[in-house]
Amino acid sequence: MNFLRQFLALLRMNLEGEGARLGSVLTIVVGVTCTVAVLVSLLAMGTGAHQQATGDVHDDEAVVQAQGAQGGFDSNISRDELVALRDLPGIDRDKEGEPRIDGLVVVPFEGHRRDTGRRVFFPLLGVSDAKFELRPPAHLTEGRLFNPGLHEIITTNACVGQFDGFELGAKRAVRGVDWVVVGHYDQGQSLQCVVLTDAETLMSLFRRNGFNRINVRLKSPGDFAAFNRALEANPALKLEAKPARAQVEADMKQYTGLLNFVSYFIGAIMGVGATLGAVNSLYSIVDARRRELATLRAIGFGSGAIVASTLVESILLALPGALLGTALAWLLFHGMAVSPGGFFIFRLDVTLRLAEIGIAWALVMGFIGGLLPAERAVRVPVTTALRAT
Amino acid sequence: MKFLPLIWSGIWRKPGRTILIFLQVLVAFVLFGVLQGLKTGIEHAVQAARADLLIVHGRQDFIFSGLPLGLLEQIRSVPGVKLVAPVELFGGYYQKPENGILIVAVRPDKDWTDAFTFNVAPDQLAAFARSRTAALVTEFVAQKYGWKIGDHIPLVTQMANKDRSMTWAFDVVGTFTDSDFTPGRSKILVNYDYYDQARLSYTGSVNHFNVAVDDANQAVPVADAIDQLSLNSSHETKTESIRELAQQQVQQIGDLEFFVRAVVSAVLAALLFGTATMMMQSVRERTPELAVLKTIGFTDRAVFLLVLAEAVVVCIAAAACGLALSLTVFPLAARFVTALAMPPATLATGLALAVTLAVASAAIPAARAARLRVVSALAER
Repeated sequence: MNFLRQFLALLRMNLEGEGARLGSVLTIVVGVTCTVAVLVSLLAMGTGAHQQATGDVHDDEAVVQAQGAQGGFDSNISRDELVALRDLPGIDRDKEGEPRIDGLVVVPFEGHRRDTGRRVFFPLLGVSDAKFELRPPAHLTEGRLFNPGLHEIITTNACVGQFDGFELGAKRAVRGVDWVVVGHYDQGQSLQCVVLTDAETLMSLFRRNGFNRINVRLKSPGDFAAFNRALEANPALKLEAKPARAQVEADMKQYTGLLNFVSYFIGAIMGVGATLGAVNSLYSIVDARRRELATLRAIGFGSGAIVASTLVESILLALPGALLGTALAWLLFHGMAVSPGGFFIFRLDVTLRLAEIGIAWALVMGFIGGLLPAERAVRVPVTTALRAT
Repeated sequence: MKFLPLIWSGIWRKPGRTILIFLQVLVAFVLFGVLQGLKTGIEHAVQAARADLLIVHGRQDFIFSGLPLGLLEQIRSVPGVKLVAPVELFGGYYQKPENGILIVAVRPDKDWTDAFTFNVAPDQLAAFARSRTAALVTEFVAQKYGWKIGDHIPLVTQMANKDRSMTWAFDVVGTFTDSDFTPGRSKILVNYDYYDQARLSYTGSVNHFNVAVDDANQAVPVADAIDQLSLNSSHETKTESIRELAQQQVQQIGDLEFFVRAVVSAVLAALLFGTATMMMQSVRERTPELAVLKTIGFTDRAVFLLVLAEAVVVCIAAAACGLALSLTVFPLAARFVTALAMPPATLATGLALAVTLAVASAAIPAARAARLRVVSALAER
């Protein structure tokens, strides 16, 4: 109890004196602010990319790919396999009893960015489902769906904003054939440019006879296990299924992993710098108060309370930096659209979780920064300190 | 020169503080060195990419296009073309689906490697040309799966062969290295003709052609002439040098420049505050000493320069150590991205930044020291 009272009295005294030590205090605050702002902004990329990729995923969907396919382009699933899949258990059926299963052909498609003219490749998707319709929340905003066999495409609204030549009625030459944009649709929160058409037309043009991927809508997310068991039990099907969310997570893992690694690498180096700055500032604060602290010890304040109060002071000085840094990251970068990998575009997302990480980072910096100075505050013998000028 | 001992003793007046400032500056410049090194490393790699090596791919569908093999003879007849090589890419895996490998089918014609970024020992090159089922593998996969020369390796692929099997077997005859801008690690080279004749479908199609030109300066007109061949056909081509492709890839990484600058500015801003506060404090503590210097005849200017010099020496020493330390990270980073580089220009920029930092943080305290009035400063004592 005595310790606590001493500690609180000391802490109050420390904090009331900060005004007189503005330079040292600002060094800590600015150092921590910059570190946290950079760390949180960089981490917001990884979070934003993940959010973008998984935001529109339906949990009752599953993705089937060829075993060992790398990245989807080389996955090759025959028409026979698609037919065999239709009878597997767990698949949702429409009013006529047809299974909701869709073979997809993926072909790279060239676009030129509106602002820079840069060339970007993104997927042109062919869907095999004869009764294809957009699944809510995706919905048409303009025009109509494509008609099979007529070289018609629909695109997301994002395409129109980002690339040249996707206006309604615009013609795009692919393999010597003009494809007409007949509709635009909204895809939920994704900023991704996606172009859709029917699979058969695409396959004949590109002389393909297989699908890259098969999308399956299950009766419920829980039916995946039954579906997967049946798939694995059929030796003729050299395919592997994953819930759509797991597939997206797996696809994104390397990308977000790299983004997060870079973020923490830079955040750690900056953190070391800011911690050193905090150590230096606290040293000078402790040094300036050497006589004061010695007096306190002479009149009976315990060393423990002094150490604790200096440590907590350091941590408390780091806190405003953390809040300021997070706020700065949010103000400057939250919602900014970036595409560090080329075609994959997403918004930076400064979340509460990132604020927590930033604050935790700052607290650790404050704690480590305060350790040595706190020890110094009680190390000097009282008699020597009292004689100091 | 006679000031050197004075500067030196000023620096070490409070060793703890100096060491901390030194480390703070050092850490900042390690980060500067790594980020800047990454940026220049990528720029160098792009410059080093060959401008005389062209890729002919489908206009819309990039390097996975299905172009007819027949185009080969037509491209060969284009003036300025030295060498044409068909390339077919397909994916496979060894034993487990996780062990993915990119299989590159090429034709071992005379001098074929001139149209690629691959490096193969001459005897292994000859062995590769001799056998239809031969394969050259990267050092990486050879080590990972313990493959040796003479091994017979079965790979499961997405392409059926005439036996209606997805499994293809190749004989390892050697290893190769790839000096491409972004070389894949898990890669093997096999014989195109063997692959093309043994596969069930898509016979006679290639993903892209590699073309070596006689004169890199003529690469653009040659590329245009090649694209003219298939204009308005169902398989229009687009021909680009691998340097252009590397440039586009870098552009796709986005604004690396902006990113590096933003981070470095944040680091320097935080650092400036730290060093400025410390210098201010140091001058305040030494007021009587500086007054004594003035009493014995030091001019205002001399005192100003003395304080400034202390900051400059510490900052430059720390920055130099930081940049040197960042060099040790380079080989580590090179394994993941690209070879980092620190040309003299970057070094100079770093040191200039260090001087700027020192001057900016010490100018006000130094001016204060210079303006010191001897009488009142001594009276404070």
